Amino acid sequence: MAAARSFPALALLNRILLWAVFLTLAVICVYPMIWLFLNAFKTTNDMFAATWGLPKVWHWENFSTAWNYGISRYLLNSLVVTSATVVIELSLATMAAYALVVLNFRAKAAIYTLILGGAILPPEVSLIPLFRVMAETGLYNTYFALILPNVAFGLPFTTFLIRAYMTGIPGELREAALMDGAGEARIFREVYLPLCRPILASAGLISAMRVWNEFIFALTFVESESVKTVTIGVMSFAVALRADWGVLMAGLALSILPILATFLVMQRQFVGGLTSGAVK
Amino acid sequence: MPDRSDHTQATLRQSLQGWLWVAPALLFLVVFVYGPALTNIRFSMFSFSAMSLDWDFVGLNNYLRLWNDPKFMTALTNNAIYAAISVTCQVGVALVLAAVLEARVFPNFSANLFRTALFLPSILPVVVVGLVWQLLLTPTTGLIDQILWETGLASWSRAWLGEPDTAIFAVIFVSQWQWTGYIMALFMVAIRAVPRDLYEAMEIDGASGVQQFWHITVPGVRETILIVTIITILGSLKVFDIVWVMTAGGPNHSSEVLGTMMYRAAFRDDMIGYSSTIATVIFFIALTIGLVQIKLQKDR
Repeated sequence: MAAARSFPALALLNRILLWAVFLTLAVICVYPMIWLFLNAFKTTNDMFAATWGLPKVWHWENFSTAWNYGISRYLLNSLVVTSATVVIELSLATMAAYALVVLNFRAKAAIYTLILGGAILPPEVSLIPLFRVMAETGLYNTYFALILPNVAFGLPFTTFLIRAYMTGIPGELREAALMDGAGEARIFREVYLPLCRPILASAGLISAMRVWNEFIFALTFVESESVKTVTIGVMSFAVALRADWGVLMAGLALSILPILATFLVMQRQFVGGLTSGAVK
Repeated sequence: MPDRSDHTQATLRQSLQGWLWVAPALLFLVVFVYGPALTNIRFSMFSFSAMSLDWDFVGLNNYLRLWNDPKFMTALTNNAIYAAISVTCQVGVALVLAAVLEARVFPNFSANLFRTALFLPSILPVVVVGLVWQLLLTPTTGLIDQILWETGLASWSRAWLGEPDTAIFAVIFVSQWQWTGYIMALFMVAIRAVPRDLYEAMEIDGASGVQQFWHITVPGVRETILIVTIITILGSLKVFDIVWVMTAGGPNHSSEVLGTMMYRAAFRDDMIGYSSTIATVIFFIALTIGLVQIKLQKDR
């Protein structure tokens, strides 16, 4: 089987060439992160002297300085915004997907198109009117100013993923439950939700990554340190620390540490989850 | 058999129920996506600033002004270059890389390691990627410059982000660095869904790996290629964050894209109407791309 899947005519030279190409690409992809973490331990002078080498003295205090500069608060804010967005988004998308799959009602196709169509519109298009709405309603500079638009712009893809998964659940399950006198709400909760767990995990992961890394709303809709998420936080951080590369890099390293650690521990689930939806 | 009126009533009830289940999601989309997008088109017909109470109705004058703005052509060209390079790398190169990894050229363990390594940049926040590459590309002290010096290519050394000729290309390069591995992983999933026996049959006929790629892999993942191409083009149209972080459209507007131009007009230069005009142009380009996608998928 394994032999049948390989290129039979591939000469040894080709094989060596492919190894060289992939090794080079792997180094190019990973080395900048290693460089970041190593240099985070150096003073600015050390870095200028030898950006390649290991730190002569490991300056752990760079990390505590960065942490005290506000990274901890940014991380907390990102956590709040991300978890709230994911919970609301998954709930709404699962409900909509359920109706679109099992219920028969007028305009169903049109509604699905309307939900999917949202995926085409870039956030830039809604930015200015949204900014005015946020300012007028007092939502500006609160967690909600980030959570609500993030939910809305995530819904199309999340609904698409969950709906595609639900169409694979046999309709007989629902019919049997209906015979037993169960209502839609109960079938949704007790039959469909448990069966959808794998896709909810994937969709949740995709959505969490998107919100955690979101930039333009965070740049536009909040301004206080107390609500800034980590993406915007490191921006102000970078401006404040232009001259102190070691601390700046320690801050950047800290800001990606949670994602990086999770990825390295669960890389199979991560890649699997983030690529779900690749095939219909 | 229920009689007719019962039937209608049941349908009506299901209709109502259906609407109730989709209502929250629809509400979010209307309030935060579609509503503002339409308001934005109305804004584009006025000239006003954030604080102004008087809105001058200017009709299509903002569009005329945009058309004559040299920065607009720069931005549009940069978005197009961005799209062209991204499609080449993230569809073309990524597909080839995925095919090689799925063809079992490498032992399983190394193939997994390569996939993880190439995937890694895509999980990082764009801001962090931008800032790290800014440091890497810094003249003299940055890693890239030091590599050039050590390898005797010192004459290539330059301020990649500081010169108008190279700024946008440096940004585009970083974007390819971040996303090619992700799209490669997507293609690997798609290739795994192509029936194995197709490859085996061709192999018995003595076809080479390259022939198998063109005759089985490419047709087998056509659907994914189409979707990824559309997503990549849409992504290049709405690109904002990586450019804003790395160059903010500079130096001298040379790396401006539609997103940064729009943002600057609204939140730096306080020309809300003009900024809405740029956003409306983005809207119509996105709409066109979306319609093309629907058409292509129907034709299949």
